[in-house]
Amino acid sequence: MIEDDLRAAFVRHEPLTPSTGPLRAAIDRLAATRRRRRQRFQAAGVTLALLAALGVGVPQLRPDRPADGPAMSGRPADVPPEALNILLLGVDGFGEQPPYRLADSVLLVHIPADRSRPYLISLPRDLEVSIPGRGIDKLNSAFFTGAGEPRPDLDAGYDLTRRVVADLTGVRVDAGAVLTFAGLRRITEAVDGVEVCLPKKVESWHTRRTFPAGCQRLDGDASVDLLRQRRYLPDGASDRDRNAQRYVGGLIRRVVGQDVLTNPVRLAALLSAPGKGLAVDDDGLPLTKLVAVLPELKSVDPVGLSLPVGPPTDDATRLRLDPKQGRAFLAALSEDRLAQWVAQHPERVNPVR
Amino acid sequence: MTYEEFADTRLAPLLRYAVMLTGDPHQAQDLVQETMVRVQLNWRRVARADSPERYVRRMLTNQYIDWRRGSWVRRVLLRGEPDASMPALTDHAQSAVDRDQIWSWLSRLPRRQRAALVLRYYEDLPDIEIADILGCAVGTVRSSISRALATLRTEYVEA
Repeated sequence: MIEDDLRAAFVRHEPLTPSTGPLRAAIDRLAATRRRRRQRFQAAGVTLALLAALGVGVPQLRPDRPADGPAMSGRPADVPPEALNILLLGVDGFGEQPPYRLADSVLLVHIPADRSRPYLISLPRDLEVSIPGRGIDKLNSAFFTGAGEPRPDLDAGYDLTRRVVADLTGVRVDAGAVLTFAGLRRITEAVDGVEVCLPKKVESWHTRRTFPAGCQRLDGDASVDLLRQRRYLPDGASDRDRNAQRYVGGLIRRVVGQDVLTNPVRLAALLSAPGKGLAVDDDGLPLTKLVAVLPELKSVDPVGLSLPVGPPTDDATRLRLDPKQGRAFLAALSEDRLAQWVAQHPERVNPVR
Repeated sequence: MTYEEFADTRLAPLLRYAVMLTGDPHQAQDLVQETMVRVQLNWRRVARADSPERYVRRMLTNQYIDWRRGSWVRRVLLRGEPDASMPALTDHAQSAVDRDQIWSWLSRLPRRQRAALVLRYYEDLPDIEIADILGCAVGTVRSSISRALATLRTEYVEA
Protein backbone atom coordinates (compact mmCIF):
# COMPACT_ATOMS: atom_id res chain seq x y z
CA MET A 1 0.00 0.00 0.00
CA ILE A 2 1.37 3.33 -0.97
CA GLU A 3 -0.04 4.96 2.15
CA ASP A 4 1.99 2.62 4.35
CA ASP A 5 5.12 3.23 2.29
CA LEU A 6 4.54 6.93 2.72
CA ARG A 7 4.21 6.64 6.48
CA ALA A 8 7.37 4.56 6.60
CA ALA A 9 9.26 7.04 4.43
CA PHE A 10 8.35 9.92 6.73
CA VAL A 11 9.41 8.06 9.85
CA ARG A 12 12.63 6.89 8.22
CA HIS A 13 13.61 10.48 7.52
CA GLU A 14 12.99 11.75 11.02
CA PRO A 15 16.73 11.51 11.80
CA LEU A 16 17.29 14.27 9.23
CA THR A 17 15.84 16.68 11.77
CA PRO A 18 18.60 18.94 13.10
CA SER A 19 18.91 19.77 16.79
CA THR A 20 16.90 22.68 18.05
CA GLY A 21 19.52 24.39 20.24
CA PRO A 22 21.34 26.51 17.64
CA LEU A 23 18.06 27.19 15.83
CA ARG A 24 16.45 28.54 18.96
CA ALA A 25 19.37 30.86 19.60
CA ALA A 26 19.22 32.07 16.00
CA ILE A 27 15.50 32.76 16.33
CA ASP A 28 16.05 34.81 19.48
CA ARG A 29 18.85 36.83 17.87
CA LEU A 30 16.88 37.57 14.74
CA ALA A 31 13.75 38.45 16.68
CA ALA A 32 15.72 40.88 18.85
CA THR A 33 17.15 42.58 15.77
CA ARG A 34 13.77 42.91 14.15
CA ARG A 35 12.18 44.14 17.36
CA ARG A 36 14.76 46.92 17.60
CA ARG A 37 14.24 47.86 13.98
CA ARG A 38 10.48 47.84 14.44
CA GLN A 39 10.68 50.03 17.51
CA ARG A 40 12.80 52.53 15.64
CA PHE A 41 10.33 52.53 12.81
CA GLN A 42 7.38 52.96 15.12
CA ALA A 43 9.08 55.80 16.93
CA ALA A 44 9.62 57.55 13.65
CA GLY A 45 6.03 56.85 12.70
CA VAL A 46 4.60 58.16 15.93
CA THR A 47 6.70 61.28 15.63
CA LEU A 48 5.33 61.81 12.18
CA ALA A 49 1.83 61.28 13.46
CA LEU A 50 2.37 63.71 16.26
CA LEU A 51 3.63 66.35 13.93
CA ALA A 52 0.94 65.69 11.39
CA ALA A 53 -1.67 65.99 14.08
CA LEU A 54 -0.47 69.51 14.51
CA GLY A 55 -0.02 69.96 10.84
CA VAL A 56 3.67 69.48 10.44
CA GLY A 57 4.03 66.04 9.16
CA VAL A 58 5.61 64.69 6.12
CA PRO A 59 9.14 64.32 4.87
CA GLN A 60 8.62 65.92 1.53
CA LEU A 61 9.33 69.56 2.27
CA ARG A 62 12.85 70.74 2.37
CA PRO A 63 13.80 72.79 5.42
CA ASP A 64 16.35 75.04 3.81
CA ARG A 65 14.11 77.07 1.55
CA PRO A 66 14.84 80.79 1.80
CA ALA A 67 12.21 82.73 3.69
CA ASP A 68 9.90 84.59 1.38
CA GLY A 69 7.24 86.12 3.59
CA PRO A 70 8.10 89.48 5.08
CA ALA A 71 6.87 88.35 8.49
CA MET A 72 9.08 85.27 8.40
CA SER A 73 12.58 86.51 8.60
CA GLY A 74 14.45 87.92 11.53
CA ARG A 75 11.90 86.97 14.14
CA PRO A 76 13.70 86.33 17.42
CA ALA A 77 13.42 82.74 18.52
CA ASP A 78 12.26 83.17 22.07
CA VAL A 79 9.66 85.85 22.25
CA PRO A 80 6.61 85.43 24.46
CA PRO A 81 4.15 82.90 23.10
CA GLU A 82 2.24 83.95 20.07
CA ALA A 83 -0.36 82.28 17.93
CA LEU A 84 0.81 79.67 15.46
CA ASN A 85 -0.67 78.74 12.13
CA ILE A 86 0.23 75.49 10.46
CA LEU A 87 -0.86 74.61 6.96
CA LEU A 88 -1.68 70.99 6.18
CA LEU A 89 -2.37 69.97 2.60
CA GLY A 90 -3.92 66.67 1.64
CA VAL A 91 -2.90 65.87 -1.90
CA ASP A 92 -4.68 63.49 -4.20
CA GLY A 93 -2.94 61.09 -6.49
CA PHE A 94 0.79 61.29 -5.93
CA GLY A 95 2.56 58.24 -7.17
CA GLU A 96 -0.68 57.06 -8.66
CA GLN A 97 -1.99 57.11 -12.20
CA PRO A 98 -3.27 59.49 -13.27
CA PRO A 99 -1.51 61.92 -10.95
CA TYR A 100 -4.09 64.57 -10.14
CA ARG A 101 -1.92 66.72 -7.90
CA LEU A 102 -4.80 68.73 -6.55
CA ALA A 103 -4.72 69.75 -2.91
CA ASP A 104 -8.27 68.74 -2.08
CA SER A 105 -7.90 69.11 1.66
CA VAL A 106 -6.57 72.44 2.86
CA LEU A 107 -6.48 72.57 6.62
CA LEU A 108 -5.12 75.40 8.68
CA VAL A 109 -4.26 74.42 12.24
CA HIS A 110 -4.42 77.44 14.49
CA ILE A 111 -2.87 77.34 17.95
CA PRO A 112 -3.79 80.45 19.92
CA ALA A 113 -1.24 82.36 21.98
CA ASP A 114 -2.92 81.22 25.21
CA ARG A 115 -2.41 77.60 24.06
CA SER A 116 -5.97 76.79 25.07
CA ARG A 117 -6.65 74.25 22.31
CA PRO A 118 -6.02 73.68 18.61
CA TYR A 119 -8.46 74.94 15.98
CA LEU A 120 -8.80 73.02 12.73
CA ILE A 121 -9.93 75.36 9.99
CA SER A 122 -10.91 73.85 6.65
CA LEU A 123 -10.53 76.08 3.63
CA PRO A 124 -12.87 74.80 0.91
CA ARG A 125 -11.08 73.49 -2.13
CA ASP A 126 -13.68 75.11 -4.39
CA LEU A 127 -13.07 78.57 -2.97
CA GLU A 128 -12.28 81.19 -5.60
CA VAL A 129 -8.91 82.72 -4.95
CA SER A 130 -6.33 84.74 -6.78
CA ILE A 131 -3.39 82.51 -7.72
CA PRO A 132 -0.16 84.21 -8.81
CA GLY A 133 0.68 83.11 -12.31
CA ARG A 134 -2.78 81.69 -12.96
CA GLY A 135 -5.40 84.28 -12.11
CA ILE A 136 -8.70 83.58 -10.43
CA ASP A 137 -9.23 79.88 -9.88
CA LYS A 138 -10.16 77.34 -7.25
CA LEU A 139 -7.99 76.97 -4.19
CA ASN A 140 -7.15 73.34 -4.94
CA SER A 141 -5.55 74.32 -8.23
CA ALA A 142 -2.89 76.45 -6.51
CA PHE A 143 -1.00 73.31 -5.60
CA PHE A 144 -1.33 71.97 -9.12
CA THR A 145 -0.12 75.27 -10.60
CA GLY A 146 2.87 75.41 -8.30
CA ALA A 147 3.81 71.75 -8.55
CA GLY A 148 3.96 71.83 -12.34
CA GLU A 149 4.13 69.06 -14.89
CA PRO A 150 5.14 66.50 -15.92
CA ARG A 151 7.08 65.78 -12.73
CA PRO A 152 5.20 67.59 -10.00
CA ASP A 153 7.26 69.14 -7.25
CA LEU A 154 5.62 68.93 -3.83
CA ASP A 155 7.72 71.77 -2.46
CA ALA A 156 6.72 74.16 -5.21
CA GLY A 157 3.08 73.15 -4.92
CA TYR A 158 3.18 73.77 -1.20
CA ASP A 159 4.93 77.12 -1.60
CA LEU A 160 2.37 78.53 -3.96
CA THR A 161 -0.55 77.27 -1.88
CA ARG A 162 1.00 78.82 1.20
CA ARG A 163 1.25 82.17 -0.54
CA VAL A 164 -2.37 81.96 -1.63
CA VAL A 165 -3.53 80.99 1.85
CA ALA A 166 -1.50 83.76 3.47
CA ASP A 167 -2.98 86.30 1.03
CA LEU A 168 -6.47 85.00 1.60
CA THR A 169 -6.44 84.78 5.37
CA GLY A 170 -3.97 87.50 6.23
CA VAL A 171 -2.22 85.24 8.72
CA ARG A 172 1.39 84.20 8.78
CA VAL A 173 1.89 80.51 8.05
CA ASP A 174 4.53 79.32 10.49
CA ALA A 175 4.96 75.79 9.30
CA GLY A 176 3.29 73.25 7.14
CA ALA A 177 3.35 69.94 5.37
CA VAL A 178 1.98 68.03 2.47
CA LEU A 179 0.28 64.74 3.14
CA THR A 180 -0.10 62.20 0.37
CA PHE A 181 -2.30 59.12 0.52
CA ALA A 182 0.76 57.01 1.22
CA GLY A 183 1.77 59.34 4.05
CA LEU A 184 -1.70 59.23 5.52
CA ARG A 185 -1.70 55.46 5.39
CA ARG A 186 1.73 55.26 7.02
CA ILE A 187 0.85 57.61 9.83
CA THR A 188 -2.37 55.76 10.57
CA GLU A 189 -0.56 52.44 10.68
CA ALA A 190 2.16 53.88 12.87
CA VAL A 191 -0.33 54.73 15.60
CA ASP A 192 -2.10 51.43 15.07
CA GLY A 193 -5.31 52.92 13.73
CA VAL A 194 -7.27 56.10 14.29
CA GLU A 195 -10.75 56.35 15.75
CA VAL A 196 -13.13 58.45 13.69
CA CYS A 197 -16.67 59.29 14.79
CA LEU A 198 -19.14 59.83 11.97
CA PRO A 199 -22.58 61.39 12.39
CA LYS A 200 -23.92 59.46 9.39
CA LYS A 201 -23.10 56.35 7.45
CA VAL A 202 -20.62 56.85 4.61
CA GLU A 203 -20.47 54.52 1.64
CA SER A 204 -17.30 54.44 -0.38
CA TRP A 205 -17.47 55.43 -4.02
CA HIS A 206 -14.12 53.80 -4.65
CA THR A 207 -14.38 50.54 -2.74
CA ARG A 208 -17.13 48.43 -1.22
CA ARG A 209 -16.42 49.79 2.23
CA THR A 210 -19.24 51.17 4.33
CA PHE A 211 -18.39 53.35 7.28
CA PRO A 212 -21.26 53.10 9.76
CA ALA A 213 -22.46 56.06 11.78
CA GLY A 214 -20.71 56.28 15.13
CA CYS A 215 -17.15 55.76 16.28
CA GLN A 216 -14.87 53.28 14.58
CA ARG A 217 -11.19 52.59 14.43
CA LEU A 218 -9.80 52.90 10.92
CA ASP A 219 -6.63 51.31 9.63
CA GLY A 220 -4.42 52.97 7.03
CA ASP A 221 -6.33 51.87 3.96
CA ALA A 222 -9.70 52.68 5.49
CA SER A 223 -8.52 56.16 6.49
CA VAL A 224 -7.40 56.92 2.97
CA ASP A 225 -10.66 55.54 1.65
CA LEU A 226 -12.76 57.67 3.99
CA LEU A 227 -10.87 60.87 3.29
CA ARG A 228 -11.27 60.37 -0.44
CA GLN A 229 -15.06 60.23 -0.24
CA ARG A 230 -16.97 63.18 -1.60
CA ARG A 231 -19.52 62.04 -4.16
CA TYR A 232 -22.00 60.22 -1.93
CA LEU A 233 -21.81 62.82 0.81
CA PRO A 234 -24.81 65.17 1.00
CA ASP A 235 -22.63 68.23 1.28
CA GLY A 236 -19.86 66.98 -1.00
CA ALA A 237 -16.45 68.48 -0.45
CA SER A 238 -17.53 70.29 2.73
CA ASP A 239 -18.55 67.01 4.31
CA ARG A 240 -15.23 65.58 3.27
CA ASP A 241 -13.47 68.49 4.97
CA ARG A 242 -15.44 67.70 8.13
CA ASN A 243 -14.36 64.08 7.91
CA ALA A 244 -10.76 65.20 7.57
CA GLN A 245 -11.18 67.19 10.78
CA ARG A 246 -12.71 64.15 12.49
CA TYR A 247 -9.73 62.13 11.38
CA VAL A 248 -7.22 64.68 12.67
CA GLY A 249 -9.17 64.90 15.93
CA GLY A 250 -8.97 61.13 16.28
CA LEU A 251 -5.28 61.14 15.41
CA ILE A 252 -4.59 63.70 18.12
CA ARG A 253 -6.55 61.64 20.65
CA ARG A 254 -4.58 58.59 19.62
CA VAL A 255 -1.21 60.28 19.98
CA VAL A 256 -2.23 61.68 23.35
CA GLY A 257 -3.54 58.25 24.34
CA GLN A 258 -0.11 56.82 23.63
CA ASP A 259 1.23 59.25 26.17
CA VAL A 260 3.50 61.07 23.78
CA LEU A 261 2.49 64.62 24.55
CA THR A 262 2.67 64.44 28.31
CA ASN A 263 5.91 62.59 28.72
CA PRO A 264 8.87 64.89 27.97
CA VAL A 265 11.35 62.03 27.92
CA ARG A 266 9.31 60.05 25.46
CA LEU A 267 8.69 63.15 23.40
CA ALA A 268 12.38 63.97 23.18
CA ALA A 269 13.26 60.39 22.31
CA LEU A 270 10.64 60.29 19.61
CA LEU A 271 11.69 63.56 18.11
CA SER A 272 15.25 62.45 17.71
CA ALA A 273 14.12 59.20 16.10
CA PRO A 274 13.34 60.13 12.51
CA GLY A 275 16.58 62.00 11.86
CA LYS A 276 17.05 62.71 8.20
CA GLY A 277 13.72 61.13 7.35
CA LEU A 278 11.91 64.20 8.52
CA ALA A 279 11.96 67.54 6.83
CA VAL A 280 9.22 70.06 7.10
CA ASP A 281 8.53 73.61 6.20
CA ASP A 282 10.05 75.25 9.23
CA ASP A 283 11.75 78.34 8.01
CA GLY A 284 9.36 80.44 10.05
CA LEU A 285 9.81 78.39 13.15
CA PRO A 286 12.31 75.69 13.96
CA LEU A 287 10.77 72.29 14.36
CA THR A 288 11.98 71.90 17.91
CA LYS A 289 10.30 75.15 18.92
CA LEU A 290 7.12 74.05 17.31
CA VAL A 291 7.06 70.77 19.13
CA ALA A 292 7.85 72.48 22.39
CA VAL A 293 4.39 73.97 22.02
CA LEU A 294 2.73 70.60 22.37
CA PRO A 295 3.05 70.13 26.12
CA GLU A 296 1.87 73.71 26.56
CA LEU A 297 -1.53 72.92 25.11
CA LYS A 298 -4.18 72.97 27.82
CA SER A 299 -6.54 70.82 25.82
CA VAL A 300 -5.93 68.74 22.77
CA ASP A 301 -9.62 68.54 21.88
CA PRO A 302 -9.65 70.44 18.63
CA VAL A 303 -12.39 72.78 17.48
CA GLY A 304 -13.43 72.06 13.91
CA LEU A 305 -14.33 75.08 11.80
CA SER A 306 -14.81 75.92 8.15
CA LEU A 307 -14.19 79.20 6.45
CA PRO A 308 -17.67 80.74 6.07
CA VAL A 309 -18.58 80.87 2.40
CA GLY A 310 -21.22 82.98 0.76
CA PRO A 311 -24.29 82.30 -1.36
CA PRO A 312 -23.72 80.30 -4.56
CA THR A 313 -22.17 82.08 -7.51
CA ASP A 314 -23.11 81.76 -11.21
CA ASP A 315 -20.73 78.87 -11.44
CA ALA A 316 -22.22 76.29 -9.07
CA THR A 317 -18.88 74.54 -8.61
CA ARG A 318 -17.19 77.57 -7.12
CA LEU A 319 -17.49 79.16 -3.72
CA ARG A 320 -16.81 82.69 -2.52
CA LEU A 321 -15.99 83.98 0.89
CA ASP A 322 -19.10 85.08 2.80
CA PRO A 323 -18.84 88.89 2.59
CA LYS A 324 -19.89 89.44 6.21
CA GLN A 325 -19.32 86.25 8.18
CA GLY A 326 -16.19 85.35 6.25
CA ARG A 327 -14.54 88.70 6.87
CA ALA A 328 -15.46 88.61 10.55
CA PHE A 329 -14.06 85.10 10.86
CA LEU A 330 -10.77 86.01 9.20
CA ALA A 331 -10.45 89.10 11.39
CA ALA A 332 -10.97 86.94 14.48
CA LEU A 333 -8.37 84.48 13.19
CA SER A 334 -5.68 87.05 12.49
CA GLU A 335 -6.35 88.84 15.79
CA ASP A 336 -6.29 85.53 17.66
CA ARG A 337 -9.86 85.86 18.95
CA LEU A 338 -11.28 82.58 17.68
CA ALA A 339 -12.50 81.47 21.12
CA GLN A 340 -14.71 84.53 21.27
CA TRP A 341 -15.89 84.04 17.70
CA VAL A 342 -16.79 80.42 18.39
CA ALA A 343 -18.75 81.45 21.49
CA GLN A 344 -20.78 83.80 19.30
CA HIS A 345 -21.25 81.27 16.50
CA PRO A 346 -21.61 77.88 18.14
CA GLU A 347 -23.55 76.61 15.11
CA ARG A 348 -20.42 76.99 13.03
CA VAL A 349 -18.52 74.37 15.00
CA ASN A 350 -18.17 71.00 13.37
CA PRO A 351 -18.27 68.33 16.09
CA VAL A 352 -15.19 66.24 15.54
CA ARG A 353 -16.26 63.55 17.91
CA MET B 1 1.63 30.20 28.06
CA THR B 2 4.78 32.18 27.38
CA TYR B 3 6.78 32.08 24.18
CA GLU B 4 9.56 30.29 26.06
CA GLU B 5 7.24 27.53 27.23
CA PHE B 6 5.86 27.15 23.74
CA ALA B 7 9.32 26.89 22.21
CA ASP B 8 10.44 24.40 24.87
CA THR B 9 7.81 21.89 23.89
CA ARG B 10 6.88 22.73 20.31
CA LEU B 11 10.07 23.68 18.52
CA ALA B 12 11.29 20.12 17.95
CA PRO B 13 7.97 18.79 16.56
CA LEU B 14 7.69 21.84 14.30
CA LEU B 15 11.18 21.27 12.99
CA ARG B 16 10.38 17.63 12.27
CA TYR B 17 7.22 18.73 10.49
CA ALA B 18 9.25 21.21 8.42
CA VAL B 19 11.71 18.48 7.47
CA MET B 20 8.83 16.38 6.16
CA LEU B 21 7.48 19.35 4.21
CA THR B 22 10.72 20.44 2.64
CA GLY B 23 12.64 17.19 2.58
CA ASP B 24 15.77 19.11 3.51
CA PRO B 25 17.17 19.93 6.97
CA HIS B 26 18.55 23.34 5.93
CA GLN B 27 15.34 24.47 4.32
CA ALA B 28 13.46 23.18 7.33
CA GLN B 29 15.65 25.23 9.67
CA ASP B 30 15.13 28.36 7.61
CA LEU B 31 11.41 27.80 7.40
CA VAL B 32 11.06 27.25 11.14
CA GLN B 33 13.36 30.15 11.93
CA GLU B 34 11.37 32.59 9.81
CA THR B 35 8.09 31.40 11.26
CA MET B 36 9.23 31.39 14.88
CA VAL B 37 10.71 34.88 14.64
CA ARG B 38 7.28 36.10 13.62
CA VAL B 39 5.71 34.01 16.37
CA GLN B 40 7.98 35.61 18.94
CA LEU B 41 7.35 39.14 17.71
CA ASN B 42 3.59 38.60 17.66
CA TRP B 43 3.38 36.31 20.65
CA ARG B 44 0.39 38.01 22.25
CA ARG B 45 -1.72 37.40 19.17
CA VAL B 46 -0.52 33.81 18.86
CA ALA B 47 -1.24 33.11 22.52
CA ARG B 48 -4.79 34.39 22.13
CA ALA B 49 -5.59 31.71 19.54
CA ASP B 50 -7.73 28.75 20.63
CA SER B 51 -4.81 26.49 19.93
CA PRO B 52 -1.49 28.32 19.60
CA GLU B 53 0.06 25.11 18.38
CA ARG B 54 -2.31 24.83 15.44
CA TYR B 55 -2.07 28.57 14.77
CA VAL B 56 1.71 28.32 14.42
CA ARG B 57 1.48 25.21 12.31
CA ARG B 58 -0.83 27.11 10.01
CA MET B 59 1.66 30.01 9.84
CA LEU B 60 4.47 27.64 9.01
CA THR B 61 2.45 25.78 6.40
CA ASN B 62 1.39 28.99 4.69
CA GLN B 63 4.95 30.17 4.73
CA TYR B 64 6.01 26.93 3.08
CA ILE B 65 3.29 27.07 0.44
CA ASP B 66 3.56 30.78 -0.33
CA TRP B 67 7.21 31.56 -0.05
CA ARG B 68 8.41 32.68 -3.42
CA ARG B 69 11.33 31.05 -5.04
CA GLY B 70 14.39 33.11 -4.44
CA SER B 71 13.73 33.71 -0.80
CA TRP B 72 14.50 30.81 1.44
CA VAL B 73 15.01 28.24 -1.25
CA ARG B 74 17.87 30.10 -2.87
CA ARG B 75 19.48 31.04 0.42
CA VAL B 76 19.68 27.39 1.27
CA LEU B 77 21.20 26.43 -2.04
CA LEU B 78 23.83 29.15 -1.78
CA ARG B 79 24.94 27.87 1.55
CA GLY B 80 27.24 25.42 -0.24
CA GLU B 81 28.80 22.47 1.55
CA PRO B 82 26.44 20.00 3.10
CA ASP B 83 26.50 20.06 6.87
CA ALA B 84 28.77 17.25 8.07
CA SER B 85 26.84 16.83 11.27
CA MET B 86 23.79 15.66 9.35
CA PRO B 87 23.45 11.92 9.27
CA ALA B 88 23.88 10.77 5.71
CA LEU B 89 21.39 8.23 4.55
CA THR B 90 23.65 5.49 3.29
CA ASP B 91 21.78 2.30 2.90
CA HIS B 92 23.23 0.21 0.16
CA ALA B 93 20.49 -2.30 0.04
CA GLN B 94 18.60 -2.01 -3.20
CA SER B 95 15.31 -2.27 -1.36
CA ALA B 96 16.20 0.82 0.63
CA VAL B 97 16.96 2.74 -2.54
CA ASP B 98 13.58 1.71 -3.88
CA ARG B 99 11.87 2.73 -0.74
CA ASP B 100 13.57 6.09 -0.75
CA GLN B 101 12.32 6.80 -4.20
CA ILE B 102 8.96 7.64 -2.70
CA TRP B 103 10.72 10.33 -0.67
CA SER B 104 12.28 11.89 -3.74
CA TRP B 105 9.01 11.69 -5.67
CA LEU B 106 7.39 13.72 -2.93
CA SER B 107 9.46 16.69 -4.00
CA ARG B 108 7.77 16.71 -7.40
CA LEU B 109 4.33 17.25 -5.89
CA PRO B 110 2.80 20.69 -5.63
CA ARG B 111 3.57 22.05 -2.16
CA ARG B 112 -0.04 22.14 -1.07
CA GLN B 113 -0.48 18.45 -1.93
CA ARG B 114 2.71 17.52 -0.13
CA ALA B 115 1.58 19.44 2.94
CA ALA B 116 -1.72 17.55 2.90
CA LEU B 117 0.13 14.21 2.72
CA VAL B 118 2.45 15.13 5.59
CA LEU B 119 -0.42 16.28 7.75
CA ARG B 120 -2.37 13.07 7.20
CA TYR B 121 0.32 10.40 7.02
CA TYR B 122 2.98 11.86 9.28
CA GLU B 123 1.07 14.05 11.73
CA ASP B 124 -1.99 11.73 11.63
CA LEU B 125 -4.38 14.65 11.80
CA PRO B 126 -8.08 14.24 10.93
CA ASP B 127 -9.12 15.80 7.63
CA ILE B 128 -11.05 18.56 9.34
CA GLU B 129 -7.92 19.80 11.09
CA ILE B 130 -5.92 19.52 7.90
CA ALA B 131 -8.55 21.66 6.21
CA ASP B 132 -8.21 24.22 8.99
CA ILE B 133 -4.45 24.35 8.64
CA LEU B 134 -4.52 24.59 4.86
CA GLY B 135 -7.41 27.06 4.96
CA CYS B 136 -9.64 25.07 2.60
CA ALA B 137 -12.69 22.81 2.67
CA VAL B 138 -12.50 19.20 3.85
CA GLY B 139 -13.47 18.06 0.35
CA THR B 140 -10.52 19.95 -1.08
CA VAL B 141 -8.20 18.20 1.36
CA ARG B 142 -9.49 14.80 0.32
CA SER B 143 -9.24 15.54 -3.39
CA SER B 144 -5.72 16.91 -3.16
CA ILE B 145 -4.59 13.89 -1.15
CA SER B 146 -6.11 11.48 -3.63
CA ARG B 147 -4.56 13.41 -6.51
CA ALA B 148 -1.17 13.29 -4.78
CA LEU B 149 -1.48 9.56 -4.15
CA ALA B 150 -2.46 9.01 -7.77
CA THR B 151 0.67 10.83 -8.92
CA LEU B 152 2.84 8.74 -6.62
CA ARG B 153 1.19 5.53 -7.81
CA THR B 154 1.95 6.40 -11.42
CA GLU B 155 5.61 6.81 -10.49
CA TYR B 156 5.47 3.45 -8.72
CA VAL B 157 4.21 1.72 -11.82
CA GLU B 158 6.79 3.34 -14.04
CA ALA B 159 9.66 2.55 -11.69
